[in-house]
Amino acid sequence: MTDNLLGLLVVIPLATAVASVALIRHRIPQRVLGLVSFGSMLVLALGWLSEIRDGDVLVSQMGGWPAPYGITLVFDSLSGLLLCAGLVVALGCYVHSFSMLDPVTERRYFHPLIQLLIVGVNQCFLTGDLFNLFVGFEIMLMASYGLLVIGGSRRQLGQAYKYLILNLIASTVFVVCAGLVYGMFGTLNLADLARIVDARVASGEGLPPGFVGVSVLLLFVFGAKGAFFPLWFWLPDTYHTCPVPVAALFSGLLTKVGVYAVARTFPLIFAVGEARDVVTPLLLVSAAVTMLLGVLGAVSQNNVRRILAVHVISQVGYMVFGLALMTTAGLAGALYYMVQHMVVKSSLFLCCGVMERHAGSDDLDRLGGLLKRDRFLGVAFFVAAMSLVGLPPLSGFFGKLVLVREGWADHWWLSVVALLTGLLTLVSMLKIWTKGFWLPPAEQAPPAPGRDGDTGSGDLRGAYAGIGFLVVVAVLIGLAAEPIYEIAFHAGEQLTDPSAYIRAVDPHGLIAAGGATGGGG
Amino acid sequence: MTTVLAICVTVIVTVSVYLMLSRELKSIAMGVFLLGHGANLAIIAMSGSPVLPGGDLRQPPILGGENLVDALPQALILTAIVINFAVMGFLLTLLVVTARKTGTLNVDELALEDPPVASPEPDRSADRGVGR
Repeated sequence: MTDNLLGLLVVIPLATAVASVALIRHRIPQRVLGLVSFGSMLVLALGWLSEIRDGDVLVSQMGGWPAPYGITLVFDSLSGLLLCAGLVVALGCYVHSFSMLDPVTERRYFHPLIQLLIVGVNQCFLTGDLFNLFVGFEIMLMASYGLLVIGGSRRQLGQAYKYLILNLIASTVFVVCAGLVYGMFGTLNLADLARIVDARVASGEGLPPGFVGVSVLLLFVFGAKGAFFPLWFWLPDTYHTCPVPVAALFSGLLTKVGVYAVARTFPLIFAVGEARDVVTPLLLVSAAVTMLLGVLGAVSQNNVRRILAVHVISQVGYMVFGLALMTTAGLAGALYYMVQHMVVKSSLFLCCGVMERHAGSDDLDRLGGLLKRDRFLGVAFFVAAMSLVGLPPLSGFFGKLVLVREGWADHWWLSVVALLTGLLTLVSMLKIWTKGFWLPPAEQAPPAPGRDGDTGSGDLRGAYAGIGFLVVVAVLIGLAAEPIYEIAFHAGEQLTDPSAYIRAVDPHGLIAAGGATGGGG
Repeated sequence: MTTVLAICVTVIVTVSVYLMLSRELKSIAMGVFLLGHGANLAIIAMSGSPVLPGGDLRQPPILGGENLVDALPQALILTAIVINFAVMGFLLTLLVVTARKTGTLNVDELALEDPPVASPEPDRSADRGVGR
């Protein structure tokens, strides 16, 4: 199906960002504008999601140029679900920032930057070709560099470079990969690439030399953005230093875009034929080590923020687990897990922000007795934490259930690691719960100054609204597991059998008629 | 032609890796920028030789006719150059701000969360090194 309005999901935040720059001195109009932008995008995205819940694919050809010549935007089950989850997270964090960000930081282009971040994220999710995926990544990363050092404290500046340099190197490798792929196949359109690769494997012609190398290079690129096993070192320090709403947004969106890129390109193109034999073991080992090392790192920390940050890594491991299986149910499980993780993880980070505000620190030795002081926060944190652990009625359970069951047949050891990780997750969450909320304060330490950029007004209504919104959505994801999993299952089907995707992108058969030349230089 | 480009890419990437292994952020930044140039040259090399087997050159697309140069890789490179330029501007600005705020551009000194001299809270020194 064609829907030419898909571009709105990129245009709305872009226009809002420009308008916000014009209104930079006025706080309230910027906030209203931002809320309108996020709200309208969420309504549009949910509307489209309900349209495609039977497995349809919405396609928009920019400028009327048919694929593979023009820029294609695709709204299928995979991108639709993640887009909605991303917008929910962004809205929650945005509302939260109203009471958690101090006015000086807010005036330093917080509103335009957050809109630009969404431009990049939406473009990554929607785009139908490899080069625009790169451009989307770059827009997102530029905005994230800005948000990372917003406020410009010494600690932020010192820690930002790890993230910056690694991502710059990864982006450069990405451009080279795009060039190599174009040289090999003469096209960068994902549907076209999927068709050519498929046809070459089926006809026994084989893939061009160097294809496996490009696959592994791209795995490095997406792994660096998604914090897979050997490439996760930048994450804990980065999330530790920036303001809480920004850290929550990053934890919900940034790594997930990396995982999305793997989910989008690997089953379709880069893990086909002999490349699959190389990529799958890498993904399997990476998944196991990411899960286990991430959670062990989290258990060993004593700061709420660091526990949560290191935990992001462990959760990415679950998603890689699902991707590595490369089966319909495995991919669907990974997608469902991603959706619930984005919402739950961000709400935990937002809770952490309020905890820091109450106690003046996120050091667990200084916290305590918060349940008495703030019932709402305690309940919200508990629900979100138990979702993360995967207690049955809550959303995390269903994601883990699908993954463990699907992995049991072929890779039982990985399922065992996943279950063990779940247990250790419980330990780390109980650590925060007992020390932060349940036990009385251990010592009457003088309140330390809050984190940089977090000392806003004492009004916490915005913070509660953000947390409440995300926690309610997290619970709903658990209660509505079946319809959401159905959409995720359609996504899994579309990834394992790309014919529906190709047909939607190219309804006139231009690609199938050999519109693109196979093989250039 | 492709061989010459390949040699250029190799030299540029070698120099950039050498620069990036330095402990000074200025050198690392220069290394990253050079790597971007190397990537652009690699794309040019991938787009095929401009010399036809007979010895003639491929024509620019604007002239029309047969044997045209493929313009798409050049469009890709143009986009990559613009992005690289923006990132370069941001990174250099950040370097200036960092040097002003912290007085150092050495990676090891920046990695210390609480510098011994400038630390306003002596009680935080206890957890220095946690999670590093």
